[in-house]
Amino acid sequence: MGVLIQRVGASSPMMILRNLRLENLTVIKFMATTIAVGAMVAYGLSAFVPMHFDIKPLYLVGVAVGGVIFGVGFAVGGYCPGTCVVGAGEGRKDAFFTIAGGIIGALAFTLVFETVITPLVKMTDFGKVTVASALGVSPIATAMVLGVVFLFVVWKLPTDVTRKR
Amino acid sequence: MGTAAQVQPAAATAVKRLPPWASLGIIFGLVSAASILTWGPIGVSGTYPRFIGAILRRIDPAYATANPYLEKMGSLLKPESFLVLGLLIGGFLAARVWRVAKPAIERVHAAEHSTRARYMNSFIGGFLIIFGARIAGGCTSGHIISGITQGALSGFVFAAAVFAVGIGTAKLIAARGN
Repeated sequence: MGVLIQRVGASSPMMILRNLRLENLTVIKFMATTIAVGAMVAYGLSAFVPMHFDIKPLYLVGVAVGGVIFGVGFAVGGYCPGTCVVGAGEGRKDAFFTIAGGIIGALAFTLVFETVITPLVKMTDFGKVTVASALGVSPIATAMVLGVVFLFVVWKLPTDVTRKR
Repeated sequence: MGTAAQVQPAAATAVKRLPPWASLGIIFGLVSAASILTWGPIGVSGTYPRFIGAILRRIDPAYATANPYLEKMGSLLKPESFLVLGLLIGGFLAARVWRVAKPAIERVHAAEHSTRARYMNSFIGGFLIIFGARIAGGCTSGHIISGITQGALSGFVFAAAVFAVGIGTAKLIAARGN
């Protein structure tokens, strides 16, 4: 996984910011392709063998608030929890600072968890819902449709949005 | 038959002409599915608090066992920790094998006029991504990739928030900075 991330450029904060500024969509297309293939293969296999699916519960306020905070950090730093580890392996100095910040962040979270986080997070818990369970349709069919749609969108989108003249 | 003989080499050249995001994305998708087959979906951010837990259990075991979050996250000896270790090794190997010169610090934002600015932004960014990820219960790997792969609504919500705010923040920084 580390090799894949490094090769596609996701461990480069410059590349991440280009994606977030919508100048270059390489990483977004990489993620969408991963999701599409993973969904179709995992659900396809599920028809024949037991799979270890693990759906994260939808506690709406917590997931949304967490996503907002994450989004700011992602844009400011240019790393995510995984890519900074890959970056550190490459020798990127700013990646080490990111990991340090992350460790302090984990400590801070651990300390405030009981008092601040638990009440915030447990608001509006919808449980482990999936698109398929919400619509009441077959998970395998949903995965196939999702996969095809993602692949189509990814194929149609330009990769290098800012055309160089 | 003529058509069968024509389709084969055409398909082969098509695969060879796949851009890196596509071929690497396909491989990563297969890795993700293989993970779900063997032990569970991939994830990364949980390793950070588990690391804190491992340290606190040595320094202040009374606090560590009393803290419900550390108890919930559990031991550092989980498959996910080994995946994170693999990320480190993978980054190291990829940089060496493909002989990338040690990347200079990238000037990620035009307003970063010094390496100190980059380090500060990296640290702040690191703090926010882990803090945010733990509130949400996952990060780009755990919520966005694994979540949406499995069709989880929580993954879609997290991804929407991350990209809406991430794109907005990135464009805002670019517009203000110089």
